[in-house]
Amino acid sequence: MSALNLKLTLGPALFFWPRETVYAFYEEAATWPLDTIYLGEAVCSRRQQLRTADWIDLAHRLADAGHDVVLSCQALTESESDLKRLRRVVGNGRVRVETNDLGAVHLASSAGVPFVAGCHSNIYNVDTLALMASMGAVSWVPPIEMDRDTLAAILAECRARALPLETELFAWGRLPLALSARCFTARHYNLKKDDCQFKCLEHADGARLSTREGKGFLTVNGIQTMSDGCHALLPHLTDIAAIGVSAVRVSPQATGTAEVVAAFRRAIAGDVVEMDSLPRPDGACLVDGYWRGEAGINPIGEHHHACA
Amino acid sequence: MSTLPELVCPAGSLPALKTAIDHGADAVYMGLKNETNARNFAGLNFDEKSAAAGIRYAHDKGRKVLMAINTFAQGVDISRWQRAVDQAADLGVDAVILADIGLMDYACRRHPRLRLHMSVQGSATNYEAVNLARERFGVVRAVLPRVLTVDQVRHVIEHTDVEIEVFGFGSLCVMVEGRCLLSSYATGESPNTHGVCSPAKFVRWEQEGAATASRLNGILIDRYGAGEAAGYPTLCKGRFDVEGDTYYALEEPTSLNVLEVLPSLLEIGVAAIKVEGRQRSPAYVAQVTQTLRAALDEAARNPQRFSVKPAWQAALAKVAEGQQQTLGAYSRPWK
Amino acid sequence: MRVPDLTLPPLFASVVSRLPATPPNLALVTLLNQLLKRGVLPADMSLLAGRHFAVDVLDAGLRLRFGADDNGFVLDDGHAEPDLRFAANASDLARMMLREEDPDTLFFNRKLTIEGDTELGLIVKNLLDSVDWSETPLARFMAA
Repeated sequence: MSALNLKLTLGPALFFWPRETVYAFYEEAATWPLDTIYLGEAVCSRRQQLRTADWIDLAHRLADAGHDVVLSCQALTESESDLKRLRRVVGNGRVRVETNDLGAVHLASSAGVPFVAGCHSNIYNVDTLALMASMGAVSWVPPIEMDRDTLAAILAECRARALPLETELFAWGRLPLALSARCFTARHYNLKKDDCQFKCLEHADGARLSTREGKGFLTVNGIQTMSDGCHALLPHLTDIAAIGVSAVRVSPQATGTAEVVAAFRRAIAGDVVEMDSLPRPDGACLVDGYWRGEAGINPIGEHHHACA
Repeated sequence: MSTLPELVCPAGSLPALKTAIDHGADAVYMGLKNETNARNFAGLNFDEKSAAAGIRYAHDKGRKVLMAINTFAQGVDISRWQRAVDQAADLGVDAVILADIGLMDYACRRHPRLRLHMSVQGSATNYEAVNLARERFGVVRAVLPRVLTVDQVRHVIEHTDVEIEVFGFGSLCVMVEGRCLLSSYATGESPNTHGVCSPAKFVRWEQEGAATASRLNGILIDRYGAGEAAGYPTLCKGRFDVEGDTYYALEEPTSLNVLEVLPSLLEIGVAAIKVEGRQRSPAYVAQVTQTLRAALDEAARNPQRFSVKPAWQAALAKVAEGQQQTLGAYSRPWK
Repeated sequence: MRVPDLTLPPLFASVVSRLPATPPNLALVTLLNQLLKRGVLPADMSLLAGRHFAVDVLDAGLRLRFGADDNGFVLDDGHAEPDLRFAANASDLARMMLREEDPDTLFFNRKLTIEGDTELGLIVKNLLDSVDWSETPLARFMAA
C-alpha cells in the first residue's frame, strides 16, 4: 500500500487532568509524529488546573519548539468571564485558534485571526462552509455525526467552487456529543455545579454511564456528555484520503494515546495496522456508525473486534 | 417600565394555532411538514393551504405568525431549505426562525425585508454570538438556549440591540439546543440532521414480567414497575447506571416553568417569552397560553406585588411532563 | 360544556361486553369515512393503510376495532393483533376528543394507555389534533 496524503493531529484533551499530568502529556506529545497539536480548555470554565495564561504560554513554547499549534476555545461560552478568557485566547498574538461557537467566530473574524471551525460549529452544508471561510476559517472539522457520503459530496462541491479550506476529521476517541449548563459529574456526587469539588479530576477518561442492563452507553464528563464507545476511523483512512479530507484527529485519552498516534502514523504511511490491541479509553468498544450513515453507537465492522 | 414581552405559543396544527390566538398569544410559531423544522413528526405541522389559513386567522386578529425553519441544511442540495424560506416570505409570515447561518445569509440577501429570528437551535449563548448574527445577517431577535441564569440573560440584553426571547414553559432540554447529538448516537437521527429527538419509530415498549421496559433502537432507556408512571423514552430522561448508582443520571422527566421569575424577566427587558410544545395537542396550548397570558398581564399591572397564583401553578402542573416543574437554569442551584 | 368525571358502573360494562360489537364498529367506520370525505379529517391514508386499530372503552367494556386501506377506514374482522391500541374510560376518551384534556397529560397520568407501534400512535394523535372542528356542526361541543 502507498502512503496516504493525510496529516495527523492531536485534538484538545477533553478530560480534566491534574496540572502535572497535562504538562507531562504535552512534553511527551511533542515527541510524537504529529502534524498539529491542539490544546486548551474546551469544556468547562471551572477547570483551572492550567489558567488561560498557562495554556497560552504552553502553546507558545510548543510553537517555539517548531510545532504547529492551535489553541482550542471553550465550547460553551455564557458569562462575561468566559468571554474574557475567549478574548485572551483569540488575541494570543501568535497561534491560530479553534472556534467552538459563534461568539468565538465573531471575535476571531473581527480581529482578522485565522481560525479552525471546530466540530461544534454546525457546518452541515457547502454554503455555510463557504460563509465560514469568508469570515476567516482556514480549516474545519465536520460535525461528528456527519456520514461519509454527505461529507464526500460537500468536499466534491468545495473543489468545484475552489474553496481554499482544509478538512480535519475526528477519527479517534470518545465522541463529544452534547453540552449542558448542568454538570452531570457534580450531579452524580449530589454536589452543586458551583461547589463541584472538581470531581472530574477523579475520572481521567470520564465516568461511564451504562443502561440498566449494564451495557455501556455514554460517558459523563462534567457539563459534557460523550459516547461510551470509542469512535475509530482507522480502517477507513484510504477512503477518507480519497474523498479529500486533509487531516485526521486523535482525541487524547488517559493512557495509550502514544500508541494510538503511532498506529495512525503507520496506517497513513501505508502499513496494515492491527487495531484490536489498541488501547481505548476505559476499555470501551470501538464504534464507527456515524461514518457509515448509521447510529453512532454501531460497532465497527465484523472483521474487527469492536470490544476488547 | 419596559413594554410587556410578546407571548409566543406553539402551533403544530391549524386548530392549535387558532386555540393559541383565541387564548391570548401575541404570536404563534409553526413549521412546514418536512425536515426543515425541528419538530418533524408524522402528522404534525402545516402544508401551504393550512399555513395560509393560519396566517389569515392570526393576521385578522392582529397577531403574528413566525415560521420555524430551524434544522441545518444538509449536504450540497439545500434547495428544500431555501424553498422553505421563499415559501415563508411568499405566505407573508411576520418572521422566520433560522438556525443555520448559511440559510440566514440566503434569507437576508434574497428577502431583505423578511424579519430574521435566530432559533434556539442556533446555540447563541452569549452576546458576541448574537451580535455576529446581527452584523452579518441583520437578525433582529435571538432565542436563547435554556442554559442561562436570569443574570446571564440580563447581561446579553445589555450588550446587544437584538431582541431577546427566552423559554417560559414546556418540556426541558437539559442540553444546549443545537449542540446535542445524543439522539443520532442512539438512532442515527438528531434534531440537527432530521429535526427529531428520540424518534418514535425507534421506540419499543416491552413487557418484562410485571415491569415495562422502554427502548430506543434497542437501548434500554428505562424500566418501570407495575404502578410506576411511564414516560416517553427521550434518551436524556432515562434512568441509567453510573458507578453502581441507578438514577436519572442526566435529567428527570420535567418541564420548565418560569412563573416565579416572571417579574425579573420583565424587568430585564426580554422581548418575548416562548412556550415549547408544537408536538402537544390544542388542549395543552389552550391551558398554557391562557395561564401565561393571565400571569403576564398581572405582572404588568402590578410588578411590585406580583405573586404566583396557585391556580396558575395547578393548571401548568397538570400538563407538565412527568408532572414535575423546574426553574431550570434560571435558578442557580439547578446548575 | 364539561365532561363530568364519572366512571360507568360495572354492571353497564358486563352488559355491553356481551352485545355484538359490529354496530358500534360500523357506526365508527362510517363516521370516520364521512369526516374523511368532507375533508374534516385531514388524514394521509398512506400512513394508515394496512394497519389495525383498537379503542377500548374500559368502563363500558366496549372494544372498537377497525382498519384502514388507501381509500379510507374499513371494518376489521378483529382477528389480527392491532398495531395500535388506545384504552381509557369513557369520560377520559370524551375529554380527549373534545379537547378538554391533552392526550399527553392523560398518558402521563396513566389514564390513557397507548400500546403498540409508537410512531403510529403519534400519527393518530397528531391526526386527531389537526381536525378543525370549528368548520363542522360539532364545534359547539368542543372545549373553549
